[in-house]
Amino acid sequence: MPEIAVPTMARSRRANIFARMFRALKLPTNDPFAVAGLLIYLVFIITAIFADSIATHDPNEILYTPAYDLAADLRPGQEGFVMGTTSLGRDVFSQLVYGSRSALLIGITAAFMVALIGSVIGLVAGYFGRWVDTVLMRLADIAFGIPFLPFVIVLAAFLKPSIWNVVIAMALVLWRDTARVIRSQVLTLRSRGYVEAARVAGSSHFKIILRHIAPNILPLSFLYGSIAIGWAILTEASISFLGFGDPDSISWGYMLQDAFASQALAKQAYYWFVPPGVCIILVVSAGFFITRGYENLLFPKLGR
Amino acid sequence: MTESLLSVRDPLLSVRDLRVSYQVGRNFVHAVDGASFDVPKGSITGLVGESGCGKTTIARALTRVMADNASISGGQILFDGKDLAKIPEREMNALRWRDIAFVPQSAMNSLDPVYTVEYQLGEVLRRRGGLDRRQARARCEELFEMVGIDPGRLTDYPHQFSGGMRQRVAIALALALNPKLIIADEPVTALDVIVQRQILDQLKELQERLGLSVILVTHDISVVAYICDRTVVMYAGKVAESGTMQATLTAPSHPYSMGLRNAFPDLQSAAAGILTPIEGAPPNLANPPAGCRFKQRCPFALDLCGAEPPVIEVAPGHPVLCHRAKESAALRIDAARTETWMASA
Amino acid sequence: MSNFKAVGSRLLQLALVLWAVVTILFLMFRLMPGNPMAAYIDPTFTVEQQQQLMAQFGLDKPLWQQYLIYLGNLLQGELGQSFRYREPVGDRIWLLLPNTLILTFSSLIVAYVFGILAGAYLAWRRGSWVEQTAIPLVLTTRAMPEFWLGMVLLAIFSFSLGWFPAGGTRNPGAEYSGFLDLYTSRDFLAHLALPAATLAIYSQGLPLLLMRSNMLDVMKEDFVTMARIKGLSNWTVVVRHAARNALLPVMTSFAIAVGYQLQGNVVVESVFSWPGLGRELVNAVASSDYPLAQGAFLMIALVVIFMNLLADMLYAFLDPRISHA
Repeated sequence: MPEIAVPTMARSRRANIFARMFRALKLPTNDPFAVAGLLIYLVFIITAIFADSIATHDPNEILYTPAYDLAADLRPGQEGFVMGTTSLGRDVFSQLVYGSRSALLIGITAAFMVALIGSVIGLVAGYFGRWVDTVLMRLADIAFGIPFLPFVIVLAAFLKPSIWNVVIAMALVLWRDTARVIRSQVLTLRSRGYVEAARVAGSSHFKIILRHIAPNILPLSFLYGSIAIGWAILTEASISFLGFGDPDSISWGYMLQDAFASQALAKQAYYWFVPPGVCIILVVSAGFFITRGYENLLFPKLGR
Repeated sequence: MTESLLSVRDPLLSVRDLRVSYQVGRNFVHAVDGASFDVPKGSITGLVGESGCGKTTIARALTRVMADNASISGGQILFDGKDLAKIPEREMNALRWRDIAFVPQSAMNSLDPVYTVEYQLGEVLRRRGGLDRRQARARCEELFEMVGIDPGRLTDYPHQFSGGMRQRVAIALALALNPKLIIADEPVTALDVIVQRQILDQLKELQERLGLSVILVTHDISVVAYICDRTVVMYAGKVAESGTMQATLTAPSHPYSMGLRNAFPDLQSAAAGILTPIEGAPPNLANPPAGCRFKQRCPFALDLCGAEPPVIEVAPGHPVLCHRAKESAALRIDAARTETWMASA
Repeated sequence: MSNFKAVGSRLLQLALVLWAVVTILFLMFRLMPGNPMAAYIDPTFTVEQQQQLMAQFGLDKPLWQQYLIYLGNLLQGELGQSFRYREPVGDRIWLLLPNTLILTFSSLIVAYVFGILAGAYLAWRRGSWVEQTAIPLVLTTRAMPEFWLGMVLLAIFSFSLGWFPAGGTRNPGAEYSGFLDLYTSRDFLAHLALPAATLAIYSQGLPLLLMRSNMLDVMKEDFVTMARIKGLSNWTVVVRHAARNALLPVMTSFAIAVGYQLQGNVVVESVFSWPGLGRELVNAVASSDYPLAQGAFLMIALVVIFMNLLADMLYAFLDPRISHA
């Protein structure tokens, strides 16, 4: 990500913080791509919530045909399986539907943690400056020196493989980008007249941060959070594909690993390994489109 | 407007009824709305007015390198027997820099930061002037000496020069191909007063020595008074008054010029009087008022100013765009008093 | 003077990051379940081997002593014995590193050449239908899981069309007399094509989008307008002035991209059974070959850190405003 130019947001000092936060989070509904992205999200969220009713089978169940043969490697449509079956006789469509659950769960929790940790660190570093800033920014340098995917792999393998460990491993590294951007934003905010004035007037740090700085930081945090959703989903897919994923949950990455290990490529079973990839692309690019629309909304200069 | 009114004998450049408009959304803003003036050979013509009056737009229109949304919508730019407003782009491009060179306001942003000054001079000399590498090198040194910079600094990058030096580099660049006309767009505005003066002296000295023809665009009437031979005063997209510097500044005939003179300190005489600003702001060019465009700010406005003002020649070669141009001698006396301008506010 | 100071503090920062990453690595491999000795000692080693390794890594000593011994060993380039290969980890890594670097650099060079040209083109055609369709398409390539793209390419071009081999670096049984002989052979290049294409398709988006937005910014600069007023040809204006300036940040992003790519390699190498560091890391972690996993991780981290440094230096070198301050 290129560094984003610092926007000027705040004008009125007294405006209700909540109203401003809400306004800051206003979704970019006039950008066609952003709208498409929001719709894609909506579809996947609905799918994830109602997975139990949408799925035609238990995604883990080994299925048999009416003739009591293992329902393995069936093509789409055969024996009534909409998208075919895996080599072990599981329903591809149902796995795909349940996969949306872990994708969204991982994506949103990881993004939330990345945005939260990154924003808090960036805020503290930028606001307090001096040695606090130095220490935190050196920590960011260190985080930039850690190879991300290998780090997540090693942690996921050594700790018990679970969704949460993957999320934690991601948050431990990815806060760095958000923190740097938020920090530079805070630095410019801090030098603004109204923040100086509040300090001179003796407002507490907590009050200044909450009233004057946080509302201006929120859109940026949200922006970086939405970028992190895509990263998290892609990372989870990679981890599961390599076999270090949560064994108890069906994810798109797991489906791809299963397909790859079961020679789906040689068998030309496109119906098996193409759909999970397309789902990942849809969700991640939906995030990109929303981010882009959001960026245009926040920083109109950049968009053109 | 007839030819005789503007008569400058054998002008190098004649602008006739020039119109330049910017497209903003679905509307057109006529930044230059029927401007006419002449630029004689071998002298400096000052194009003066407030920001937004269209002077920079004219300067850029003469090169035909304009903003994406700007276009020449009418009129003529007669130069060297050609109408620059009409000739094809190819022909125009052949003429750029060889015949018409440009000195920008901020040489810092106008020089490419990643090349040395020598490269940028050489680029013009070789690609546009047809010189070979050795000739270009010699010419670079010659140009640097002309503008008073040590040729040893040719291999420096733009950011290594001071503001005044960079402006000298920009002048050297403009002189490179011995152009017939140099357009200088606020060439000293970004500099401090002492450096301003040095650069202006340099420009004047070069102009006299080489017989250059220069259009100097400025908002600063004291700069005009300091080095210009002729003045074109612009207001809200139109030429308010044009003539010799002496005529337009010592005996201005348009109320706007009178006000402008009061609003600036005199560069030449140390006895600075009280500065009187002209109250108010120029009209919005997206929707200009009918009749005289200065009438809302003019202390001498009458009812008849609601009609389109005529061009009146108060002296040979000194046209004025004002209903009351003939009374200018009397108005000047009133205009010299500060109260006149306070009252209108 | 200030230049020296800047370089000095940058090097100090580098040393800090190196130390921190090495320490994190040490702690990480002590975090794993079970006996900490397992990090270095495979139960199937002979008693003699076990004792020798115990002494070498100080595994019977307290943690802080182990840490010091670990640092000392690292400084001497001693990374331990691989369990699976029964050979020094260092040898194994030096064997695999060229494969990874060749894959990384060949794909990135293709990606950057394409991305820079296409990005400049799209900036030039800004607002056209070409740009309107290309940008979402490029964003989509950024949204692909790299390994999935690899799978699709494999299924089509290898299994279905049979144009390219399915994995590895050479045909079984093929022998080569040396380094250069192997890496310039048709055989090797055919094996390289698909994994490199996968990584290139994924990576071209970054230089493309960066180049495009830089070009759009630079085209608005005064010096580009001046170049037009000078009557320079369109080519000179766009290439020599606009593109030359827009290229600066793109070039520095190359170094950073090498670091990122190395991480992406982990999955793509696995898909194509490409014997590189990434695949070795995955295999080593999966088969609990801890010394090898640690070594591979360290090597990847070193390249990432070095590339971050290179990016900074490249920027200073390429931009006369910094190099001729």
